[in-house]
Order: sequence, then C-alpha cells, then structure tokens
Amino acid sequence: MVDHSLDANLATPGAALLRWLGLAIAAVVAAIGAGLGFWQGLPAQQVIFYTAATIALVLWIWNAFLVRLMAEIVSRSAAARAGGAVSARTAIRRFVVQNRGVLGGLLIIIGGFIILSLTLSGFFTLVNLITGLVLCAALVVTALVSRAFVDNRSAFIGLMVLGVLFVVASLHIDGFLSGANFKSMLVFASFLGLASVGQTLVALLGGLDLSIPYIIGSSNVGLLYLMSLGIPSPIAVIIILLLGGAIGFVNGLLSFRLQAQALIVTLGIGFAISGGTQILTSIGTAYAGNVFGEVPGWLKNLAAMNGSTFGLNVPPVIFIWIAVAIVLIFGMKNSVYGRYIYALGGNRTSAQRISISERRYWIGAFTISGCASALTGSLLLGWSGGGFIGVGDPYLFTTLAAVVIGGTSLLGGQGGYGFTVIGVLVLQVLTSFLVGIGLKFEWQQFIYGLLILPMVALYARSPHIRTQI
Amino acid sequence: MSEARAESRGGSFNTFLLVPILLFFGLLIVAVLRSPNLMSSSGIGSAEIVVAPLILSTYALMATALAGRATVDLSIGPLIGFINVTLIQLTAAGIIASPIAVFAYALAAGVAYQFVLGLIIIVVRVQPIIVSLSGFLALSGINLVILPRPGGAAPDWMSSWGAGTSILTPVLFIVALATAGWLLFSTTPFFGHIRLMGSDERAAYTSGVRISVVRLGAHVVAGLFAGLAALAFTALISSGDPTQGTTYTLISVTALVLGGTSLAGGRATVIGSLLGALNLFLIGYVLATFNFADVQGFVTDLAYGTILVLSLLLTVVLPRIQHWLRRISPLLLFVVLGLLFTGVALHATFDYSGLQHLSSGAAPVSDASAPNPQQNAAPAGAGNAIVDNGEGEGLIFEQAEKSPSLVRSPFATGVAQLAITLVAIVVILRLLVWQAGKRAMTPLIYAALAVMLVVGAWLLIDSAALVSKAGN
Repeated sequence: MVDHSLDANLATPGAALLRWLGLAIAAVVAAIGAGLGFWQGLPAQQVIFYTAATIALVLWIWNAFLVRLMAEIVSRSAAARAGGAVSARTAIRRFVVQNRGVLGGLLIIIGGFIILSLTLSGFFTLVNLITGLVLCAALVVTALVSRAFVDNRSAFIGLMVLGVLFVVASLHIDGFLSGANFKSMLVFASFLGLASVGQTLVALLGGLDLSIPYIIGSSNVGLLYLMSLGIPSPIAVIIILLLGGAIGFVNGLLSFRLQAQALIVTLGIGFAISGGTQILTSIGTAYAGNVFGEVPGWLKNLAAMNGSTFGLNVPPVIFIWIAVAIVLIFGMKNSVYGRYIYALGGNRTSAQRISISERRYWIGAFTISGCASALTGSLLLGWSGGGFIGVGDPYLFTTLAAVVIGGTSLLGGQGGYGFTVIGVLVLQVLTSFLVGIGLKFEWQQFIYGLLILPMVALYARSPHIRTQI
Repeated sequence: MSEARAESRGGSFNTFLLVPILLFFGLLIVAVLRSPNLMSSSGIGSAEIVVAPLILSTYALMATALAGRATVDLSIGPLIGFINVTLIQLTAAGIIASPIAVFAYALAAGVAYQFVLGLIIIVVRVQPIIVSLSGFLALSGINLVILPRPGGAAPDWMSSWGAGTSILTPVLFIVALATAGWLLFSTTPFFGHIRLMGSDERAAYTSGVRISVVRLGAHVVAGLFAGLAALAFTALISSGDPTQGTTYTLISVTALVLGGTSLAGGRATVIGSLLGALNLFLIGYVLATFNFADVQGFVTDLAYGTILVLSLLLTVVLPRIQHWLRRISPLLLFVVLGLLFTGVALHATFDYSGLQHLSSGAAPVSDASAPNPQQNAAPAGAGNAIVDNGEGEGLIFEQAEKSPSLVRSPFATGVAQLAITLVAIVVILRLLVWQAGKRAMTPLIYAALAVMLVVGAWLLIDSAALVSKAGN
C-alpha cells in the first residue's frame, strides 16, 4: 500500500522539491564537515573522503526515508481532501489521534526538561538543551519514518536509539569517543553478544533460557578447576564446552514437554548446576566457592583488554563475536536449520505438518545456548584471570534485554541474531553512558528494569483476546 | 473444607496433593529423628516465624498463577524487600508507628504494586513474566537506593514477634488468617471466574466473564498476600534488608510448584501451597542438620534447584498415572501418615529418663511390676506405662523395640513386630484405597484428626513441663 502511493506521488512537483532540498542539506552538512576538517589541519585526502561519504550518507538517508515519507503524507492528505471538506477542528483531532504516541513522548520530554530545569539548579545548560532537542528530533523522525517500514521496523528503531545514545553520550562524557573506550565497549559487547546467541535462538522458538548466567558462572569456575587439576588448557576448554552443551541438552529435554514453563525449568536447572559446581570445586579445598589457579597466556590474550590479534592491538574476542554474528545472520537466513527454526516459531502446527521435528529443534536450540554460555564463561575467565561463580549474574537480565531491545519477539518466529547485535550495542552504549555520568549500579538496574517494558511493548504485544476466538 | 468437597467430586486436581503430603511427612519424620527439639514449643515457634513469609509469598504467587497466562510473579521477592525497607525507613522517620498504620501501609503498598503490574499486563498486553522480570530489576535496584545496607529497626511492638519462643505467635495468627481468608475467598463466584479464566481465557471471555476486571482482582489479592508476607519477613529479621527479600523469589516459586499448582493457570489449592512451603522449609531444615560445613549453601542451592525441576516434571507425569492414583484419598493419606508421624515423633522426643517422675504418680502399677532401685535410670518396664491411646501402631512397636526385656525370645519379638507391621500395612492400604471418594469415611477421618491434635497438644505440654522441670 505504501509503495503504491509512493509510485503515484513521486512524480509530483513536491517530491522533486524535496530531493533538491535534500541535496542542499547534504551540501551544507558536507561543507561544515570539510571546513572543520581543514580547520583541524587534517590531510586533504581524508577531508575529501569524509566529505564524499557524508554527502552520500545524507542523500541516502534523505531519499530512502524522508522522500518516501513525504510522498505518503502528501498522498494521505490528498486522499483526505478528496474525501470531502472537513473542518479544521476535525482535522486537528484526527492528527492528534493518529500521532498520539509521538505527541505524548514530546510532551514527556519537554515537560521533564522544564521540571528538571526548574528544580535542579545548574541543569539548564547548552549541552542539556542540545540533548533535549536531539531527543525530540529523534523521537519525531523515528516515529514518522518507522511507519514506512513493514519488516525491519524494530531494527530501525534500535539503530535510532543507538544513534541518539551515541550523540548524547559523546556530548556528556569526555573521552567517550576515544579508541580505548570503543575497544572496551566492544569487548564487553562481545561477551554479551556471545551469551545472547542461545537466548536469541531459544526466543525464536518461543522459549526463554534463564540458566545462561549459571552456566556462565559454572563454566568460569569449572574451567579453572579443570586446569588446576593439571588437564592441558585446550582440552579443558573443550571439555567445558561439551559440558555446557550437555547441560543445554538436558535443559531442552526436560523443558520440551513444559514449554510454557521453560523459564522456570531452566532456572531450577541453573541453580542446581551452580550449586553442584561449587560443591565439586570446594571438595578438598579450604576455600569454599573460590578456585585459585593460573590462567594460561593464550586464554588471557583471547579476551583481555590488552590482547592482540595477529599483531593488531585488538583482543580476538571481538573478532570471534563478529565471526559468530556473520555465521548466524547468514546461516539463519539461508540454512535449512535456520528456516526451520523460524517455521517452528511462527506456527508449530503448520511446521509439524511439513514434518519438522519440534523436539529436535527445541533441544538443539537449548544445546547451542548451553554451549555458547560455556564459551562466554571460558572467555570471561581469560578476561578476569580468576574464577568467580557470580561472574554470570548480570547476564540473567542483559541477555534477555538484548534480545528484546533488538526486536526479536518473545512469542517466537520473528527477529534474528542481527537484531540482537543491535540490542547488544544499545545496551552496551547505554551502560557506558550510565557509568560515565556516574550513576551507581542500583540506579542502572532500576533504569534497565523500566527500559525493557516499553521496548517489549513496541514489538512483542500479544493480540487482544477478542481477536483470538 | 475444600478437600472434602473436591473429594466427593473426585476432583482430578486432588491427585496433585498426594506428592506434597508424602514428602511432607517423609521430611517431617527425618527432621524429627535428626533433630528432636523441632517438636518443642520453641522449635515449632521459631519454625513458624521462619516459614511464615515463605507461606504468605507462596499464597501471593498462587493468586496470580491461578489467573493463567503463565503469570509467575518473579518480582515477589524484591517486592517483599521493597515493603520491608520502606517500612523501616518510614518508621525511622517517625511517619508510621502504630500497628494499624503499619499494616495498612504494607497491604496498600503490595496492592498498589500488584495493581500497576496487572494494569500493565492487561493494557500493554506484554507477557506477564517479562513485566514481572522488569519489576524484579527495578525494585531490586530501588531497594538498594532506599536502604544501601542492612540495618534499621522494626517498630517496637513488632520486635518481640521474631523471638519464636512460643507456638501462639502473632505471625501464626496472620498465617492462619490468610489461609482462612483464602478458603473463604475460594467459595466466592469471583474465585470461580479466576479459575475459569486461568484454565481457558477464551472460554471465560466468550461466556461473559469480564476478564480484565477478574485479572486485576487476582493481582489485588496477590498484593494483599505480598503485603502480609513483607510484614512476616520484617518480623523475622526485625530490621531492614534490601537484598535478603530477593531470595524469596526462587524459593516461593519452588514451593508453589511443589504444592501442585499449575503454572499454566487454573489449578491451585491453598493446602498444596501451604504444604509446598512447609516442605521447602523442612528440606532446608533437614539439610541444615547434616553438617556440610562450607558448602552448606551450595547444597541447599542444589537441592532447591533439583526439587523445582523434579516437581515440574511430576506435573507432566501425574496426569498419565492419574487413573490409578485417583483411588487414593489425599485426606486419608494425610491422616494415616500423620498417625505414623505421631508415633515417630513420640519415640524421638519422649524423655525416657524423665518417665520415672511422670509415671510414678499416674501408673503405680508399672512401678510395682518393675521395681527399680535407681530413680533416674530408665526402667525397662516403664514402656508399659504408656497406655495405648489408640492413636497408632507406631507407638506400640517402637516401644517394643525399646524394651526387649518384655518379650523373652528375640525370635518372638521379630515375629510379633512383623505381624503387627503387616497387619498395619494391610489396614492402611485398605483404608487408603477403600472407596476414597465416599463421604462415609469423613467422620472417621475427622475423629482421627481430632485424636492427632489432642496427642500433639499433650506431647507439647508434656515436653514443656519436662523442660521446665529440667530447668528447675
């Protein structure tokens, strides 16, 4: 429908005007960028390269979203005009009703800003004002443009949130845009991204895996324990990965008949695993729950902040995550396994009709989840250099939040790992921002708790009961 | 009683009570054998203080779980913590002090939170588990903001509640009131609507139940129980603690599942939840009697996790074997196992050395039959002094075991014991299976229950008397 109106209206003089306007804006932005570049004394090649890139990017965004959008608005208003004369009052009311989400959001932002300015002395600064304006602009653009999307709306919203967070964070925090900060954010994002692999797959089937934090903690301690027993480190890592897979297998097996309660089943198993690991590792030592040992150099290099990949000063864990992400994004789209998971998540009954084994894929997803969690736990051991059972605790919520913020529906069948990557990045930038402005852990937790609801509400609302009959 | 009705119906959810009952008495027997002073007034008193918040939070979970949509309120633990810390801070600020104000505040806070939760679930239509998870995070964050570390003091009048020296504590009163309240609530049509909605929301909607109102109502009821649980928790620790309350999430979900409640909705009994919570407490208690030293906490984690998974799996298995189990009446099983337990408890807690004092006045015959020069040594014949109260076979053969001198040959003892045991088993099984659903059995059951209560009371008074005697 959108495309149809788009084609019909692109020929209108309004659209051409818009295109010229876009070109002008791109030119102005590029000119500002080039001026700044020369003023900073950068090499001319770089300035030209960046200017060209800026023009291309602005033009693409403009043409892809705004021209389309304007065409739609024009066609709508034309349709409204054709429908007969309406009074101004009715038109305003219709406008308010159609855009109530945006207007409400704007009111909240402006109202909150005014209240904060009046109550907190020193709040009304240029930076905060710019932040408020950026928030308002982003809200309007997101709300208006995302209507034009049919499929990847959540990815677009996620990217917009990411962009806004980036702008706001770099305005407020010194050194946010430094290479060191990027590296540390990417390392943490890789851990979270690897831990969310399983959660994404399980969520695509309509389940949830809460055993992830416990498997991470257990594999973290268990790996160090195995190595302290004298097992060569690569073999120990393989054993841990296999054990993680085995726990995931058990998770899937036991929760298959209890799919609605998969969450509780996995929580119970996670608790048992965590307790069992601690009992095992404390036998014969005087330090209950603590394991001491030497982490081998290659494992440290793999995940530590100062690790290097083939001479490049970037820890390999980032590349591992990128590789996993590429494999998953393309694999889920093109492999039989991936398509069957979407089929099962979308509609169990019809998937069974074409003889897809539900049990096999359910258990498979949980097994992968266990394996990925064990991998995360092992890498975290390399990062921290010491075993700690509670290392996985933050991942209970963050894996879920990453999946949800990315836009994978918890009802199953919609989303994918690419979305989760966006969610992971949003969470990571948000965390850096909150830490950067000096917020304590308690407040961070509080904000995450409040954040997840609107995010889920955007993509994972169940239909009303009257539509299900 | 609700079971009596369900029994006469031959209700299928009854079967889910069998496992909690079996487990309850099994654990109780082990607990009493390993640590007999559980069966003293201070033992029971402290046990009920500890178990009360768990029972009440399980009730709170039960109300929403009953309403369907897999509503497991994960935020119950942080909610208890939230009410606790705010209560402590408000008391410290001198804003609320009187019992009425404290009760009103706790209940109102619980109801308000659950009301908001319910509204979000209804209006936004997000999966309840996600709403409760975000509530979990938000509340456990804000708890630490309100009270960064454990401290503060409960209101003065509440500080004595947590002593747990006698059986009749205010906390017991609260739990009894809550249980009675639930039983009353379960007779209302509104409760029927909740159950209908929980087992099939579409059917409820099409038959004209106003599901939004009913769901909101279930949340309000849950909020009331959550407020009571927070009060019991405050009484238990007599101070404020921002993190301790959070642990109640896992254990009350476990207790709920253990009590035979279906997390999918529509099936929950208050007796089951009560037994589930008691079972969980007893598991911890029994584990604590074994000395695991450093790994104690890990063993408890392992046990809770395993039990949670096993009891969930049980809910899958039970419907398949239900047509066999249906012939067993839960209430009868309860009574029979109760008798068995009474015997074991008597054996475990009976003060054989103190028997001399007691029996000297009451039963001079036994003294005469077994003349004993020493006052304090346990006379072998004193076993006879315990008159058979008619309350269980357990007592007889436990006594026989303890006093071999009564019977001349060990062979005869063995045969007699075996015969008594076999007869007892046959009678018990026959009773258990014998037309379990018939109402004709009910008077007998109530009579047995009454006898058990009397014996229990006698036991407690007796042991209290012994303790005071020993004190003198």
